Amino acid sequence: MTDAGLVLEGVSAAYRDARVLHRLDLEVHRGELLVVLGPSGAGKSTLLRLVAGLHPVAEGRVLIQGRDVTTLRPGRRNVSMVFQSYALFPHLTALDNITFGLEVRDVSRAAARERARAAAASVGCAHLLDRRPGQLSGGERQRVALARALVREPDLFLFDEPLSNLDPELRVETRGELKALHARLGVTSVHVTHDQTEALVLADRIAVLRDGRLEQLGTPDEIWRSPATVFVARFVGSPAMNLVPAGGPVAPEGMPEALGPERLLGFRPEAVRLDPTGSGAPATVERVDVVGEDAHAYLRLADHLIVARVPASARPAPGDPAEVAVRWADVHVFDAGTGQRVPL
Amino acid sequence: MSTEPDRGHRQLRLMLAPYLLGLVVLVLGPFVITLALAFTEYDLIRPPVWTGTGNFTELTRDPIFRTALVNSLVFAAVAVPLRLLIALALALLLHRRAMAAGPARTAAVLPAAVPEIAYGLLWLWLLNPLYGPINQVLALGGQNGLTVFGRTPPQWLTDPADARAAIILMSLFTIGETFIILLAARRSLPHDVYELAALEDATSWDVLRRITLPLIAPVLGLLLVRDVIQSLHFSFVPALVVTDGGPPPYATTYVPLFAYRTAFEYLRYGYAAAATLVMLLLTVAAVAVQWRLLRRYGRFHDR
Amino acid sequence: MPARWWRTLGAVFVLLVFVPPLVLLVSGSLTEPGQPPPPTPRLLPEPLSAAGYEHAWSLGSLGRATLNSVLVAAVAVPLSVLVAAWAGFALARSSRRLVTVVVTASLLALMAPATALLLPRFVIFRFLGLTDTLVPLIAPALLGASPLYVLVYYLAFRGLPADLYDTCRLCDLTPARTWWRFALPVVRPVTAALTALSFILTWSNFLDPLVYVYDRDLFTLPLALRSLSVLDPTNFPVFLAGAVVATLPPVIVFVLAQRWFLRSESPGRQLR
Repeated sequence: MTDAGLVLEGVSAAYRDARVLHRLDLEVHRGELLVVLGPSGAGKSTLLRLVAGLHPVAEGRVLIQGRDVTTLRPGRRNVSMVFQSYALFPHLTALDNITFGLEVRDVSRAAARERARAAAASVGCAHLLDRRPGQLSGGERQRVALARALVREPDLFLFDEPLSNLDPELRVETRGELKALHARLGVTSVHVTHDQTEALVLADRIAVLRDGRLEQLGTPDEIWRSPATVFVARFVGSPAMNLVPAGGPVAPEGMPEALGPERLLGFRPEAVRLDPTGSGAPATVERVDVVGEDAHAYLRLADHLIVARVPASARPAPGDPAEVAVRWADVHVFDAGTGQRVPL
Repeated sequence: MSTEPDRGHRQLRLMLAPYLLGLVVLVLGPFVITLALAFTEYDLIRPPVWTGTGNFTELTRDPIFRTALVNSLVFAAVAVPLRLLIALALALLLHRRAMAAGPARTAAVLPAAVPEIAYGLLWLWLLNPLYGPINQVLALGGQNGLTVFGRTPPQWLTDPADARAAIILMSLFTIGETFIILLAARRSLPHDVYELAALEDATSWDVLRRITLPLIAPVLGLLLVRDVIQSLHFSFVPALVVTDGGPPPYATTYVPLFAYRTAFEYLRYGYAAAATLVMLLLTVAAVAVQWRLLRRYGRFHDR
Repeated sequence: MPARWWRTLGAVFVLLVFVPPLVLLVSGSLTEPGQPPPPTPRLLPEPLSAAGYEHAWSLGSLGRATLNSVLVAAVAVPLSVLVAAWAGFALARSSRRLVTVVVTASLLALMAPATALLLPRFVIFRFLGLTDTLVPLIAPALLGASPLYVLVYYLAFRGLPADLYDTCRLCDLTPARTWWRFALPVVRPVTAALTALSFILTWSNFLDPLVYVYDRDLFTLPLALRSLSVLDPTNFPVFLAGAVVATLPPVIVFVLAQRWFLRSESPGRQLR
């Protein structure tokens, strides 16, 4: 138990009468970076706010480094949070923003400033300390917010979609820096996002959340290679994984046994081959989206539309006939009723 | 949960406490007292004597009160629409950048910053038939103190109709707050609607009638409610200081002045409370009626 | 003619209507007392004389009255702003049910005309033995000068981003410190505007002193003015001089503070 940075035991939460988290169990290892991934409304932010103490726990317990904090107020939990909006105080300079939490805790002014400078230097915003938030760009504000979180030397970092307000280029850059920062500090972190790429790149482990329930908890590899449910399979990956009923239009090459329609076959767009070897299922190309080097070809097989990722240089034209083939090794099998992965 | 969240709650309660005390002692208490005193005879020295509805039957038979009531209603009916119209016109005229617009905005608000009593005294002089600049200007070019058209200039302080007009005239300059609110309301209207109208080549009359007025109407409605209530208040000092409730018979005695005199000059606090209660009830009725109109408009507006 | 010129023309017209009364107030006060009315109206009196001010000062003991007014304002204005800012903050951080009750009560309080509250308040203060003191003149500060100001603060504090309040909670700030360190500094323009308004309101208060204060030594400026005009209603330079003295402070405060009311963007806009 002591090596857990954060433990949620059967935690539930509600907004007014609506339950947003259902008896959630989750354990984050000490020093681990856990990414909570899910669509909006899945309860990701509530989970974070509940850990921070900003939202009340309806039932269950929250433990940070083995310490039960369920009834502690936010200021006593020793956690730092970086908000999507960065939440910088507009009337304070960057330096005063960073020292804000320290001075309130009666750290001496000089010591607070010393620590603030160090924190600012470690995230590359030491040159911005005299400016107010209104004079900073989005990326610069983000750094100041990060420095403010660092300077507290918390037991736990909480990130609430900190990258979603940055433009794409900066987002990729900052993502890398966040990862490096985490590796350097080794503080337990929980990072909430709805961006699957961000999750796959950053995470030690990913927790996929849906409607207030944990759908799957695993390393990025596990999430990608063996999604536990249809939901995870469809949510991670773009374009989303193809799903067709077993015994339907697509017969994977090398399938050991015949499966009935109570099973669903899932395969990613990049697993779909359009080679006209004669053994594939006949299809018609409906639409082709070209995304730089890649092309997404939407293929009509009887009642089903599946998507294939092909090189843009070898793309078919809309209206062309095509043959679709998938290898059994690339296929995931799910139960059509429960949506759960079926082990083979 | 533990006692921890309570600390914050207690502090918030403490921060709210002074205001709640104010509400109870200065608003709620007075209201209850008015309600109670209205059914008594009270002169501050002897304890109140219960008289039932005696005060109210007396009020219905009191010709002075009836005059005061009619005066108040007429004043509100004339002054309030005029005030709103002027404030709206000024806001629409001055909301944009132009030379002299800034000083003009300040000038329009400034009379509202002048203390009521100083403002009243100023008009006491302005309206003076002999010394007053207003009648001096009106008599320019005329002879023997008559206007150019050979008519007698208004006798502001001695003729009943002219005196009522004078009180209304005084109220037309103190529209500062209403003007500020309308100015802010006009400035908060979205630009793109007006740009669209410009693309459609709409005339300024169309823009006013079909864009500005409908968008600003909710604010205008609230200001109307507010001004009707306030009209009871801003007739008081002018009537007290400038016209002294006269000229006879009670041409500018409004309900607040009536209540004030009854209480503090004739020491009939119970009777005055009854008059105050009637005033409050009138206010509530006016608010209720206007609120219904606003609601109806609001529904229409939302659809 | 371009639209801009029409607007300027309109503005000049507004100036021509609204400025003369104030100019006349000053010029009337500079007229020599006891003169017969001039044959023609004039903007500047002939001869210019400060005698009105001298008479007003000695006859109306305006010095004493000014001191009382300053005293009342010095206590009541900071107190009003404090009460309003506290109450507005507490409302912004309280449960919805409490807010509904207090906001409704405040709106009702706003609807009651001041003259309707005069009589019952008098009965209360008389019962408390506080008539003929300055306390009833300071008492409205408990309402934040006006419930409207409480509501303005409430809206301003409620409009601040929730993330910033959460950050304060994470830093373990009590509500009072959150108010002092974060909320109040951020709404500084609102505070500036409301301070100016409550000063104007307090300074100009005529009804309350009229009812509560009889001792000449406790007269505030508006009441001293009134007694000056009752003393000799025809001696207008004297009471106009008094009126100028009473008018100057609020007008100056207003002109200094007007950028908070008349500026194009709203004060909350600085928060993005």
